[in-house]
Amino acid sequence: MARFFRRRKFCRFTAEGVDQIDYKDLDTLKAYVSETGKIVPSRITGTKAKYQRQLSTAIKRARYLALLPYSDSHK
Amino acid sequence: MRHYEIVFMVHPDQSEQVPGMVERYTQAIEKDGGKVHRLEDWGRRQLAYTINKVHKAHYVLMNVEASAEAIDELTTNFRYNDAVLRNMIIRCDEAVTEESPILKAEKESRERRGRGDRSDRGERGDRERPREEQAKPASADAEAGE
Repeated sequence: MARFFRRRKFCRFTAEGVDQIDYKDLDTLKAYVSETGKIVPSRITGTKAKYQRQLSTAIKRARYLALLPYSDSHK
Repeated sequence: MRHYEIVFMVHPDQSEQVPGMVERYTQAIEKDGGKVHRLEDWGRRQLAYTINKVHKAHYVLMNVEASAEAIDELTTNFRYNDAVLRNMIIRCDEAVTEESPILKAEKESRERRGRGDRSDRGERGDRERPREEQAKPASADAEAGE
């Protein structure tokens, strides 16, 4: 059996010591939504729970202001 | 007095009204001792999805220190103003004065594409972003692995 070497996941926000995730920081947020516009779960990204909560509110705010899409099927 | 962050989106056809609106809101806030700490005009931006069959909107961001009454007045104002597509008021802990990432990103892209023609701007931006997204986590992971 081939042993897969999985790279260690790490939380970017913990590493950078982010105080508050900004909903206006689209480049950061875009890295945490899938192609279909869903929020990527922290078990995939390795984001710490504290930051995942902030991230989800930030993404939802950005969606409300039409800075991010809710889904890929908007017409 | 509390700190608030206000974002409102104006119908693109009513864009000319924006300076007047900002002026009025600023006066309403400062009338009872409030203060505007940050005021940003993001201009007309493409929406991620259509709102009321509109594809673009004029965004304005304000970080203010204001009384609850002033904010109440503002919300009713937003509600009855047909030009305002959407608005969001968030309570903040402190005054934010530095430039927002959106304005920063916009300035950068304007500098970069200063010589290029603007007609293909939207298209290019859409195409470039997904690639960056894929590239970024991978390279970040690689660094962590070492």
